[in-house]
Amino acid sequence: MSDFLKRLFNGQSGQPEKGGAQGAVPKEAFSLVLDFNTKRFEDLFRYPLNSALKRRELRIPSVNRRAVVLFVDGTADSDKIAEQVIKPLMEWKAGRESADHLVDELKNNVLTISGRETVEDLNQAVAKLIDGSAVLLIDGENQAIAVDSAGFENRSVAEPTREIVIKGPKSAFVESSAINHSLIRRQVKDHRLISETMTVGTQSPQNISVLYLSHIADPQLVENVKDKISQADRDAILTLFQMEELLEERPYSLFPSTMTTERPDRAGSFLLEGHVVLLMDNSPDALIAPITFWSLYHTAEDQFLRWAYGNFARLIRLFALFFSLLMPAIYLAVVTFHPEMIPTDLLLAIAASRERVPFPTLLELLLLELTFEILREAGIRVPTPLGTTIGIVGALILGQAAVQANLVSPLLVVVIAITGLSSFAIPDVGLSVMTRIIRFTFVFAAYAMGFIGIALVLAVLLAYATSIKSFGVPFFAPLSPHMPSSRDLLFRPIIRKQWLRPLSMKPRDAIRSKPEGGDRQ
Amino acid sequence: MRWNGWKLGMVLVILLLVSGCGERRELETSAFVSVIGLDKAEQDHQVKVTFQISNPQVNTTQSAEAQKEPPSDIVTITSVDLLSAKELAQSSLSREITFSHLQTIIVGEELARDDLFKHIIGSAIIDPEMRRETIMIVSKERAQAFIHANKPTMETRPHKYYQFMEDNWRKTGFSPVSNLNAFFQRTEGELFLAAYATAERDPIGIRHDDDYSAGEVPQDSGDPVQMIGSAVMQEGKMVGMLNGEETRISQLLRRKNLIETMTAEFPDPLNENYQISLVLNQSSHTEIEVDTDRSPVKIDVKVPLQVKVNSNIALEDFTASQKRRDALREMVKEKMEEASDSLIKKLQENYTGEPFVWYATARRNFWTVSGFENFEWGEKFKEADVDLHYEVSVTSFGEQLSPPAFKKFEEDK
Repeated sequence: MSDFLKRLFNGQSGQPEKGGAQGAVPKEAFSLVLDFNTKRFEDLFRYPLNSALKRRELRIPSVNRRAVVLFVDGTADSDKIAEQVIKPLMEWKAGRESADHLVDELKNNVLTISGRETVEDLNQAVAKLIDGSAVLLIDGENQAIAVDSAGFENRSVAEPTREIVIKGPKSAFVESSAINHSLIRRQVKDHRLISETMTVGTQSPQNISVLYLSHIADPQLVENVKDKISQADRDAILTLFQMEELLEERPYSLFPSTMTTERPDRAGSFLLEGHVVLLMDNSPDALIAPITFWSLYHTAEDQFLRWAYGNFARLIRLFALFFSLLMPAIYLAVVTFHPEMIPTDLLLAIAASRERVPFPTLLELLLLELTFEILREAGIRVPTPLGTTIGIVGALILGQAAVQANLVSPLLVVVIAITGLSSFAIPDVGLSVMTRIIRFTFVFAAYAMGFIGIALVLAVLLAYATSIKSFGVPFFAPLSPHMPSSRDLLFRPIIRKQWLRPLSMKPRDAIRSKPEGGDRQ
Repeated sequence: MRWNGWKLGMVLVILLLVSGCGERRELETSAFVSVIGLDKAEQDHQVKVTFQISNPQVNTTQSAEAQKEPPSDIVTITSVDLLSAKELAQSSLSREITFSHLQTIIVGEELARDDLFKHIIGSAIIDPEMRRETIMIVSKERAQAFIHANKPTMETRPHKYYQFMEDNWRKTGFSPVSNLNAFFQRTEGELFLAAYATAERDPIGIRHDDDYSAGEVPQDSGDPVQMIGSAVMQEGKMVGMLNGEETRISQLLRRKNLIETMTAEFPDPLNENYQISLVLNQSSHTEIEVDTDRSPVKIDVKVPLQVKVNSNIALEDFTASQKRRDALREMVKEKMEEASDSLIKKLQENYTGEPFVWYATARRNFWTVSGFENFEWGEKFKEADVDLHYEVSVTSFGEQLSPPAFKKFEEDK
């Protein structure tokens, strides 16, 4: 760990020596001399060069022994240490026999803080310190007490920023794994919700939690996910998003095989369908595995809104998906290959507006599409106070000036605007970016062969999409291959009819609730 | 081997992609023909083809408006057929002519009555750009003159005019909805009705209601073109004419009527001095039964007809008594049957065939097509017994149940 810290603080680079940082801390037992022990800690933390290590010396009045409380600045909550460690020690009235088992006595009966344990050697103690614990060293004892005083800074639970709903819960995951756990437990109140903790990263180990419902999730799936996690061999995996790419079967594919959600309720509903949810510290998201097309296409709100409203939203989203994929390609194909498809009035209007545009339709389209993509990228990066600039520049450049300068025809602006708007209506970021990329393939296919080109690319795309799997679950399951489910696919049935879990997930218990008589799906 | 496969694949993909490029054409490089006129040229076996090409820069979008240009360009080329004329026209037109938005073909009556016509139109349909829903109109004068004369005030763009006119036909029935598809379906002796139009006035005085042909409708001012009545075509050649009324009835006698509603004048059953105007439509298909085993052939036609009172000039109150309503119904039935019988008589005397698609019903009685062909339907129709029945029901007397009570005041005085 000190090596890591050394590199972190001194800016040294290069390959760390074999054995890693953890190995650099000697696995030595404590000495009976307090000053000696303190010195060793100070050496390890490069005190006083490094101001991270804080210590508080005190004398325990009732047994008249010197003691030192050590903690790392920024990781531990100093109020907690003062209130629940130091204060009880000072106020303790020791009995006669307590001096014999001082460490046990202090640990069990004096310290009021809930997490505490005895540590025997330096290595263990340093690991605890880094994790935010305080270590209590007592003169004349060769054991130390680590108390759990972790106090990392956390932001409070806020509203989701990506998966916004009008109706429904408004809490989103934060960077703290512990808070995220509690958010999920609040959704799924079931003792069978298992949370297994695994460690990833050889140099800077991070905990990753694997959550699943033991009575629903397919044990093989859970095993598969855990295998994948243990195979992820990196020095440090700081966030879940890096983990996501390491877990994926096809990192080069445009189609995602896992997804993240920032909504605890969504994570909860995935758990109830037999998916595995991964949580990690520092990541305000939960990673879902496996996923299907439907996970990307659905939103949390579909189930919160009434049946008709939710399905209407899904219908609109379906249109948006196809518009986003195909609109520019169809425009290009129709205008250059199949003008007979356009109503005569519109045709004449397009022809008239293209009259003075110097570029072929493809170039015109690519120009505008590229501008729109740049605008989109700039919109994310632009600092909030400058946000309005993007709107003005976008509206003026795209809407007015480009048309007036005869760079593009006005109808194309409409086409690109509808396309852009549609891509915003796609709920999942992965799916949205995917359609944006594939859109260009369609444009080139349409440029080469018109509708035949579009049909060919669409056929290839569908063939590929139906053939891929995410953790053994086909991308379009349970629609294709068809498997029994509650048909919560393109549209959803009313909740009373959603009594069956999709069998494509191979759930251990497929029935959500007993269906009403005769109402078989 | 793997690399060879890759190379081969790439070559194939490039070939595939490039194969479509020849068809690609930017919109602004095309000249969209909206109307074609066909006329007989002075020389034998030559046709005069008139192209009316829409100018996209007039009356389409504000941003590209060209103020001083005409809305369409009219070019006439003399050539052996339509497609070679299309090619020849390119000698003067800068943009590539395309028929993909061709809506109307106007045929001069002179050419339509000539044997040459079926060859010209038959060979033109080979062009993949020709649409089969293109409307065919026969013009009394030369098509070239018709196109030049047709400058409607309301519709600056020519395609719009013909589109709206076609919509009109479906509501009035004055002209048959005659597209190339139907024309090519009826090339074996069946009669095909094409819309008849003219830009020349030939007033014949006031006649009853819709008893006019194109050019005869009493009209002052307005657009010069009149479209009413139909040209009767047989085996791709014009053989006669029907006036507006006959055209309407021939639509009603079809099994599937293409016309939504039509308004017609009838004498008022209660008051001889006045006319009553009725809106006619059909709630169900006309029933046709053909008995081909009998000689002469027996044809039973049952025409369901719904009648709404449109304007009641005599101000008679029909709602008050069943008798009056029955009189109205009887009158409509009588008049319609009378008119239909006289139309069928005219057809039987002058032509060998019928335009009502009754042959389709008759054909069902035969096992093979050749069996039907040997039957010679056209000849049999000439002698056929046609039994016509109109089933009239009155559905409405207008928004107001009874007419205003002017009459009472008159009587009181």
